[in-house]
Amino acid sequence: MSIFIDKAAQISIQQPLSNEWFTNPMQPTERLCKFSLPNFKQYLSPATSRRMGTALKCALSSALSCVPEEKRSNLDGILTGTGLGSIENTENFLLAMLQGEEGLSPSNFMQSTHNTIGSQIAIAFKCHGYNITYAHRGTSFDSALLNAIIKFKLKEFSSALVNGVDEMTEKYFQLFDQIGYWKDRSVTTDDIRNASSNGSFAGENSVSLLLTDQKSDDTLCEICDTELFYCPTDQRLKEYIQKLCKENDIHQIDAIVIGNNGDDENDKEYKRLCGFIEPSATPIIYKHLFGESFTMSGIGVYVGATCLKEGYVPAHLTMNNCQLNQLKSVLVLNHFKKLDYSITLLKSC
Amino acid sequence: MTEKIVITGYGIISSLGSGVEKTREALLKEEKSIGRVAHLCTKHTEIPCGEVKESDEELKHQLGIGNDVVITRTPLLALIALKEALETSKLTDQISTAFINGTTVGGMEKSEKYYNDFFEGKHTEYIAAHDCGAGTELVSHLFGRFDFMTTISTACSSAANSVILGADLIKTGRVDAAIVGGTESLSKFHLNGFNSLMILEHQPCRPFEKSNQGLNLGEGAGYIVIERESVAKARGAHILCELSGYANTCDAFHQTATSETSEGEYKAMTQALHKAHLETTDIDYINAHGTGTADNDLHESIALKRVFGEHIPPFSSTKSFTGHTTSAAGAVESVISILALQHGFIPANLGFSEPIEATGLIPVKKTIQKELNHVMTNSFGFGGNDSSCIFSKYQPS
Repeated sequence: MSIFIDKAAQISIQQPLSNEWFTNPMQPTERLCKFSLPNFKQYLSPATSRRMGTALKCALSSALSCVPEEKRSNLDGILTGTGLGSIENTENFLLAMLQGEEGLSPSNFMQSTHNTIGSQIAIAFKCHGYNITYAHRGTSFDSALLNAIIKFKLKEFSSALVNGVDEMTEKYFQLFDQIGYWKDRSVTTDDIRNASSNGSFAGENSVSLLLTDQKSDDTLCEICDTELFYCPTDQRLKEYIQKLCKENDIHQIDAIVIGNNGDDENDKEYKRLCGFIEPSATPIIYKHLFGESFTMSGIGVYVGATCLKEGYVPAHLTMNNCQLNQLKSVLVLNHFKKLDYSITLLKSC
Repeated sequence: MTEKIVITGYGIISSLGSGVEKTREALLKEEKSIGRVAHLCTKHTEIPCGEVKESDEELKHQLGIGNDVVITRTPLLALIALKEALETSKLTDQISTAFINGTTVGGMEKSEKYYNDFFEGKHTEYIAAHDCGAGTELVSHLFGRFDFMTTISTACSSAANSVILGADLIKTGRVDAAIVGGTESLSKFHLNGFNSLMILEHQPCRPFEKSNQGLNLGEGAGYIVIERESVAKARGAHILCELSGYANTCDAFHQTATSETSEGEYKAMTQALHKAHLETTDIDYINAHGTGTADNDLHESIALKRVFGEHIPPFSSTKSFTGHTTSAAGAVESVISILALQHGFIPANLGFSEPIEATGLIPVKKTIQKELNHVMTNSFGFGGNDSSCIFSKYQPS
């Protein structure tokens, strides 16, 4: 049985619900790269729009744009990763509560739980299938993706929607700034290619992937597997990748999507990983265009899948700034503070 | 046929106390533990909760953790239950093991305390301890290494969904064992949130009661160790029972209300029975979600009638003992279900006197001794995230 990424949609600082970033990317210049908002009217009623927070509106829009109407209620699962959930609502409720524990409105509380995103998508889709939300730091999206793959392999799924959603408020940005998450200046592409200082820059993302067990004309690529690791030895990662490539008849990994974000410590680890996994593979970067968040790895999978669909990696996405042609296989690597790791293998179809 | 998933360990902490033995005794004696909060800092002291008796300092002391260690209450509760789960299972490092944790509150009880200080550069060590995954990582750092780790956050069904993921990870051969469950501490944020929804009861809750007003929040943690049968047998583990069925569905109706026909709940129970290859008549006891809110109890009753027809098995909500431990509830109640199965008893649904008019269902009012073979436990969350699990007496393959 094969699993395919049949459709994908993103909302981020880049042009929303579009692949413009692939050919004509916008170079972010801010330390906090907020969503470029789509025209919500196309997806949500004004009443719905009014009562929902930004992350939720973006998540619904990317999900609705990704899944054609006739497929929505029949999905076998909706799986969502979000590191922080709807923090705009969480903060609103928290700030009101800190003013006094009286007369609080429940609407912000109701939207503050992480699973609001996944359940609101299910409501919009009228989908009673499997529904789950992962909130595990930098591998929240990867956990959702892995869970979907498991269900396909158990033959319980033939289609599923996987989402990775995180917003970043001004206040939360300041909190993370206090503990050194961000640089004190905007990050450049050069920082991503040759990091030499600490800190990254913040992004917001809502990425939706439609997985199916049937290939169509729109299919981006095949997804062979995802695996999560906690504090793995290099040997364990090597063995897993060897086994994975063997099972999927891949003799050479052409490119590796890496999560370089301008933070020296973070980026060095990707260099080290690429060094022992497949030194000849071309590293693909993407966070210079999207920023960093707990679920930005979802954009990483989306970038890898888009490159496979197009059959090449444009120069602006490679470490060596040279276009890579004839792309057949892509490994997507993700690590969070050298604790949680994920590996996803994609191949052209 | 796929290999069985067996349970080889369990651990629990709630307002009833810590440990499976203490919990069993309290259930048998129908101990009341819902009352005024001692540790939670809130103006709403009139609202009773199922609070764990120990302070953070006392929990740290029990665990041998220094007072200077940066840790929030949610992972502290987790460590107590996890320690017991690992000790009872005698799981060794040689077995590839996943740790799957369910939580929603995360480090909120510290964030709400220090929020304004954070911006002045004080207590900033708790900033990175806020998110749900942070607690899971802290538990892991202090406890040891797992091969796989993740955090599930589907509100009140978080822990039940971690049981389901664990089972699927084992079935697909990714790990041989998994420590699954959840943890949640009380927080001012949660208490005020539920209070703003006007679903908090101002006396000990009475699930499935005609005049029910709401729920009591609780706190606690529960974990079970699930394992591939062959692995458990090969290492000579004591098998407590088996996980025979489970399902996760979505009501897809409303963020905080249930559909008229309780579609998600109906589907969760039906699919779990199907997976377990059981008939409705095989279920000997249902540990209901039974929060005590009018919406939940009515709709769970409707769903029970749809699934079981006229022959609804004995059921009770042990939230009348522990309060609603939200993200931990699925695990706290799985542990209670396993104890019931193992020791042959049905815990009482405290406080019940008159049934809901529309459905007329009567829960088990007094704790009774009864031989059980199959127990179902329900966890229905905000957003219609509905899950059911079935535990059965172990029958060797």
